Amino acid sequence: MRVPKSERILAYVILITMASLVLAPVLAGSITAFKPQIIWVSSPPTWIFEPTLENFEFVFFTRKGWLYLRNSLIISIGSVALALILGVPAAYAFARFRFRGSKALMQWLISLRMIPPIVVGLPFYAMFLNLERTFNIGLRDTYPGLIITYQTFLLPLVIWMMRGYFADLPAAMEESAMVEGYTRLGALLRVVLPVVWPGIVATAILNFIFAWNEFFLALILAGNRTSTLPMTAGTYIVRTRVEWGNLFAVNLIIMAPVIVLTIILRQQLVKGLTFGILE
Amino acid sequence: MKVVLKDLLKRFTNSDRAAVNTINLVIEAGELAVLLGPSGCGKTTTLRMIAGLEEPDSGRITINKRDITDLAPKDRRVAMVFQNFSMYPTMNVYDNIAFPLHAIKLGRKEIDETVREVARLVNIDHLLQRSVRQVSGGEAQRVALARSMVRRPEVFLMDEPLSNLDAKLRVQLRTEIKRLHQETSATFIFVTHDQEEAMTLGDKIIVMKDGDIQQAGTPHRVFFAPENAFVANFVGTPSMNLLPGAVQKTASGAYRLQLPGFDLALPARFNDGLNNLRGDQVIWGIRPEAIRLAAETGENCVSGVVELVEALGSRDLIFARVEDQLFRVIVDALDSTAVGAPCHLRFDGAQMHLFDADSERSLLAEQTTAGTG
Repeated sequence: MRVPKSERILAYVILITMASLVLAPVLAGSITAFKPQIIWVSSPPTWIFEPTLENFEFVFFTRKGWLYLRNSLIISIGSVALALILGVPAAYAFARFRFRGSKALMQWLISLRMIPPIVVGLPFYAMFLNLERTFNIGLRDTYPGLIITYQTFLLPLVIWMMRGYFADLPAAMEESAMVEGYTRLGALLRVVLPVVWPGIVATAILNFIFAWNEFFLALILAGNRTSTLPMTAGTYIVRTRVEWGNLFAVNLIIMAPVIVLTIILRQQLVKGLTFGILE
Repeated sequence: MKVVLKDLLKRFTNSDRAAVNTINLVIEAGELAVLLGPSGCGKTTTLRMIAGLEEPDSGRITINKRDITDLAPKDRRVAMVFQNFSMYPTMNVYDNIAFPLHAIKLGRKEIDETVREVARLVNIDHLLQRSVRQVSGGEAQRVALARSMVRRPEVFLMDEPLSNLDAKLRVQLRTEIKRLHQETSATFIFVTHDQEEAMTLGDKIIVMKDGDIQQAGTPHRVFFAPENAFVANFVGTPSMNLLPGAVQKTASGAYRLQLPGFDLALPARFNDGLNNLRGDQVIWGIRPEAIRLAAETGENCVSGVVELVEALGSRDLIFARVEDQLFRVIVDALDSTAVGAPCHLRFDGAQMHLFDADSERSLLAEQTTAGTG
């Protein structure tokens, strides 16, 4: 379809305006991250200055940012790994087998993604507290505690996304392998997973971004040992002042992998959606 | 290998009628049997039960006296070719054909020899290094055929493998499947809804409808001696002319058939069946090929008007109207006639069929007593 030139120009004008509205604060903040402390909040703002990495040095080493970065990585990668290990087989089952309540179960799963985090956060806190008191199992402020909690919003997404990929494949693909000498699991591993691999990568990236950005559940359930990067961003807003330069330095550290992954995700999603299956 | 289905029953949970309704079937070793029927008749479900992809609710399946009912698909020594799947998309042609051999842990050299031999057999030995994207639909289905052959299965199961191909390729591959069957002398069970495909391929045709076997027999038998009105109607293109009518016994003991607008003398071979008929309602059938255009009217002849002529090549299909009934008539293209012309249809008594209007079963005595198994 040919779009008239005037319409295309209009579309670009609208898109550029909207993008500027969103990106201007991000850009201003990112510039601030490289400002020396004395001009963080100069009025009018200083735009010409000699960039410095002192803010990054401060948040990374003085305020132990590297520790929180490590926590964020462990928790995000761990929870995505667990969500894939549990979710991919579940998605396969949902795509291939019809069992009593399977449809209702799928709808319940999607509903988990609609509820606000506080609805699950507080019960988890209470549960963890009880586990500690009754069975002496400590999950508060531990990696496993957060990784388990994150499944509430990661697992539904993994199952929904992967079910779509599996459902697009003809069942005859595994059935063929099963007649040709493999078990269903063997067929899944040797035939189906290689085909849906781009879909798994796309799912993993999207879920990683969600886990990486997660703030509220971590605020409730993490502690000194397991603080994640988004949580520590809040510590630069104190009662007396906001440490703008440090805050935006942390923000940039949080944003960088998300930006890179989003670009990769875009390519993966296209690949994931066009498997190259014949017919 | 002889395949025997005994009282095979399959119900799906979301349906109240059985998909396969306690069927019994014997397929002899080396036979090419075709399961034929409209969609939803249970033919594919039957095939999938033989493959082990569906579990029967009851009944047994044996291959060469070995009960395979409870075996996993991989242990049944059968091969299957599917309609909507031909190649594993992440593997090239060679790896596709070798895939079943990896399951039995053959040596690399043996695998290589087998793959090349089988590829030659289905004429794809020049495509071995191609990927999915580089082969056509027909070639991909040949890959599926090759893959089904590498493990030298006892029984080949084919679930409408040609349905997704264009007409020319379909005919070409059909011939090749027939050739493969002759060369391997294995048992083939082929599912199709295309009765022409069934006719050309099958040693035996099993016509199914609503989970029941309607008739099992040679293509000739199924075509010339249909055991019920469904088979008569389903097999053959254009399909048989079927009309409801009433029979009357004449003083001489012979029967006449009253049809809307005309009546006919019935051949004596129906007498036994008609003597046992409850009531007088029957369905009369005659194939388009068994009707002649006559020069003048006479016994077993009726007058009508040509309403439509379809050219089929060497022959024409004529739609002739008699009263409010439209007859399909096949004539030699050279003897054809024009639309709107009056015509006389002569029915060949030797090729008439008669079915009980209630049970729709054939009224030829020998057939009504013959079982369907």
